[in-house]
Amino acid sequence: MLELSSTPLVIIAILGTVGVLLPIISIARKEKGSNSFYAVIAFSALIVSIGYVAYQFISDNILPSALFSKDVLVDDAFGGFFAIAMLIVAIFTTVGSFNYMRKKNYPAVYYSLILLSTIGMVLVAYSTDLVMLFVAWELMSIPTYVLVGFIKKNPSSNEAALKYFLFGALSSAIIVYGISLSYGLTGSTNIGEVIHGYATLDASLLPLALLSVGMFIAGFGFKMGLVPFHQWLPDTYEGSPPTITTLLAAGTKKAGFAATIRVIVLGMVVLNLDWTLALGIIAVMTMTIGNIAAIMQKNLARMLAYSSIAHAGYILIGLAISPYSTLGLQGSLYQIMNHSVMKGAAFIAVTGIVTTLAVTNIDKLKGLGRRMPITSLGLVISLFALAGVPPLAGFWSKIVLFGGALDAGSTIWWAPWLAIAGVLNSALSLAYYGWLTRKMYFEGETEKRVSEPKSVIAIMIFSMIFLVGFGIYPDPIIKFVEFAAPTLSLDIMP
Amino acid sequence: MTNELIDFVLVSIALLGIGIYGLSVKRNAIRMLFSIEIIINAANLNLVAFGRFLPHSGGQTLALFSIAIAAAEVAVGLSLIIVAYRMYQNIDIADFRNLKG
Repeated sequence: MLELSSTPLVIIAILGTVGVLLPIISIARKEKGSNSFYAVIAFSALIVSIGYVAYQFISDNILPSALFSKDVLVDDAFGGFFAIAMLIVAIFTTVGSFNYMRKKNYPAVYYSLILLSTIGMVLVAYSTDLVMLFVAWELMSIPTYVLVGFIKKNPSSNEAALKYFLFGALSSAIIVYGISLSYGLTGSTNIGEVIHGYATLDASLLPLALLSVGMFIAGFGFKMGLVPFHQWLPDTYEGSPPTITTLLAAGTKKAGFAATIRVIVLGMVVLNLDWTLALGIIAVMTMTIGNIAAIMQKNLARMLAYSSIAHAGYILIGLAISPYSTLGLQGSLYQIMNHSVMKGAAFIAVTGIVTTLAVTNIDKLKGLGRRMPITSLGLVISLFALAGVPPLAGFWSKIVLFGGALDAGSTIWWAPWLAIAGVLNSALSLAYYGWLTRKMYFEGETEKRVSEPKSVIAIMIFSMIFLVGFGIYPDPIIKFVEFAAPTLSLDIMP
Repeated sequence: MTNELIDFVLVSIALLGIGIYGLSVKRNAIRMLFSIEIIINAANLNLVAFGRFLPHSGGQTLALFSIAIAAAEVAVGLSLIIVAYRMYQNIDIADFRNLKG
């Protein structure tokens, strides 16, 4: 049994209460537009939650990564790691909305939906039962459909929301179908028992088991933006409010990876190791197509969207090599944590630019370094961290990932090629990040400085400290990743 | 006359096929939404059928969850479609072309 003081239950209690109360408060107060009031409430709820997760880690109440449990939720280090990453993203989104949502309608509903979606993301990482996983997945997805289309009068926002909704609903339909097949084959929805059932499955039923795992990959892959399933992603990221894009790119995508590690990677170990080659091929395609498409973009949000597709590819390298090297999952988790901060900061910088200048076209960003110096500096640092330039934090996570791929090369012949593809793609991505930086700093006439939104400045300063600080001194975060990364072996069956 | 498990599974797979066909051929937003609903219901049929042949009721429980969640999802989807209809007087998603590149 889970105790009442375990982390997931406390997070549900805090965020759920505040998330439900916010719209009620707004009805009781009978006024519109007091955005900062609701933002402060939502922000404090998120701070309390992340404080509780950190307190649980410090006081050693958290199990080391136990991937299976008889309950529907397990309070382990793997879930806690993802909870911290996602709560950071939710805090970014809330703080970034401080200026963006000013003079817009229904702020209470907006923050309430962000909190509810955050509960869903956190629960996906904690769940050890397919029913819980599915309910949490939907709790994460449904609020984001509304949030993407939140600006009702804007045709792009609505179009983005419709495309996102159709693909998102398809992905959850496919996931239910996969769950139904695995339930029929093994007679249980507990992930541990499902995988145990797959290991002892009759050989004639193996194709159905492979079909169900394939459906999980497709369903989670839609959210992660892997390459055959990525068509909705650039449109949605471009059209939705930039704060919500932060939540999608840095938050829900990571929840997809959490679910993948919980379900697919373990199932892969049991079923058939050839699946890793399929994941490796998807990883290389995702990186390459994402980066090549990003080079041709004229819109900043769209370029970052394609770059986040490419980053899903880097993270997938770690999953593909996870059965052969312990560094694989560690690298993935490390990259996930860094990517949350890097991509979150980049999209919050876009929010700042949209709020003050109302442009996202790259040609109109000439001389941005002089007009909005702090925002541009934060954007440039997060872009270079995304490319993996030393001594920023993104460099170390890529080192661990590609080192893991080389390490796995002793048991599997194609693993080093993943590292080579990753390095080439990083170099390619540096090209368009550098091009954008040149536009921002070395082109355009001398424009006057405009006043930057204070909330955006706060996030930029936090992420600069995070990226540079953990780039120079990466030890604490590497230790944390080693503690949180699950060990893949079949001895930990329930 | 008794119903075998394989009958239910075959119907469910046929429904899955119909749903995927509808999604790939139709461009009307409501038709696409219906296709997705057909896939979800195929999964529900699977769950209930498997649950009937197993000694516990986990499958039926999950089917109830999935029906409730699908209802919430459709509510959100239809409201998005209504907003689109007010803007374009049309719900053909091939005509929504603000975003591309």
